[in-house]
Amino acid sequence: MLSRNFRLQKVGDARWLKQSYDFSKIAFAIDELVILNVSRGEKNIKRYADNIKEIVDTCFIPVVAGGGIQSMEDVETLLSAGADKILVNTALVKDVELVQALIERYGSQCVIGSVDFKYADGSLDVYIENGSEKIAVGLKDYISSLVELGVGEILLNSIDKDGTGQGYCMAPLQSILESVSVPVILSGGAGRYRHFIEAFQALHIDAVSTANLFNFIGDGFPLSRDKMIKAGINLAIWDRSEEQHLKNYFKMEAPDV
Amino acid sequence: MKVAIINYGMGNIYSIQSALRYLGCASVYSNQHDVLYEATHIILPGVGSFNKAMKNLQESGLDRILIDLALNEKKPLLGICLGMQLLGQSSTEDGYTKGLGLVEGTVEKFTPQISGIKIPHVGFNAVHHSREDSLLLKGFSGDSDFYFTHSYRMICSDESCAGEAINGENFAACVEKGNIFGTQFHPEKSQANGLKLLVNFLENT
Repeated sequence: MLSRNFRLQKVGDARWLKQSYDFSKIAFAIDELVILNVSRGEKNIKRYADNIKEIVDTCFIPVVAGGGIQSMEDVETLLSAGADKILVNTALVKDVELVQALIERYGSQCVIGSVDFKYADGSLDVYIENGSEKIAVGLKDYISSLVELGVGEILLNSIDKDGTGQGYCMAPLQSILESVSVPVILSGGAGRYRHFIEAFQALHIDAVSTANLFNFIGDGFPLSRDKMIKAGINLAIWDRSEEQHLKNYFKMEAPDV
Repeated sequence: MKVAIINYGMGNIYSIQSALRYLGCASVYSNQHDVLYEATHIILPGVGSFNKAMKNLQESGLDRILIDLALNEKKPLLGICLGMQLLGQSSTEDGYTKGLGLVEGTVEKFTPQISGIKIPHVGFNAVHHSREDSLLLKGFSGDSDFYFTHSYRMICSDESCAGEAINGENFAACVEKGNIFGTQFHPEKSQANGLKLLVNFLENT
């Protein structure tokens, strides 16, 4: 788990997540799950793919996978493990050919451009390599270039706000986001449900994301969702009571092959 | 009940298998003709380009098998996303490609007339009934959300269209024609709504 301004915190594996947070219940209150491989150094894609499989088994929403993707083989491994979209960050700068090949083979809707930025002295700077390397292009032009490249969505993460739980970076982004023609997911800083609502009301965005499970324990996600819908945010509505009723509906006898 | 998911190298089928497993329904992922004929229900998945998909189906002879299973054997067939588009007559993706022709409809890219409409159309969106007698949408309120991710949509006849969604225009979210069904959205990614729709497909056909 990446937290507190990109310092790494180990909290547990996929199984721990399931057990501690009744993950399938949380999953029925969110629209999409992003599973990031934030392990430092050599990334073990196979093990990461196994984690995804385990989560996807009981989680029927779109799943985004990413973190350290270096080849088409990595992408194939993740997609066949049940991921629907691939998130790329550093490759958007350092391996544009890979991103192009990805878009060509799987389509724009499969590729999310992950953008980490910092706001300092009135300027919005973009960082790659887990937030360690600043690039020359500013945020506005960078986003335009990604849309041009063909990414289907943009996940915009504030490095300063990430892990603080104090709310999203909003005011500096206002004018930049008005003209973006692909869906934008805002990330970094949410700690309470009102942060989600504020962001939707202030910015031209399509989704909000949070990794801050600690602030949304128990019924935190379902309650946040209900509050957002009450506040007039246009979210999908599901009947959450159906899910248990549908489990093993057909009472399978023979295991599948 | 035994569901066969068509294996023709175009797909992300892990989630479909997981959804069926959650429902307690046995499934096989196969391109073997005899296995497909033994199944009670057929699912045609699909992610990627229409042209490549048709090529793969043709090269393995699965195009003829699918047509036979649907029209002569009358097996319930559900096409998902690209799988639904393949049921149509043709697509303009990468030029012009002929489809399976099981549903009267042509597949074309969204051409938004209003600003602010984003392509690809990605995310949850409400599906409204187009027909009272829809089997797939049986029991749904008429404003139920399903997960979409696509840039092309099928332009089809009113009698085939079972449900519509809006993305700058009304478009076919699901089609039904006798034992042939299609969803432009992904039921396996649509929370309880999607699971319920899969139950409808398996139970009512």
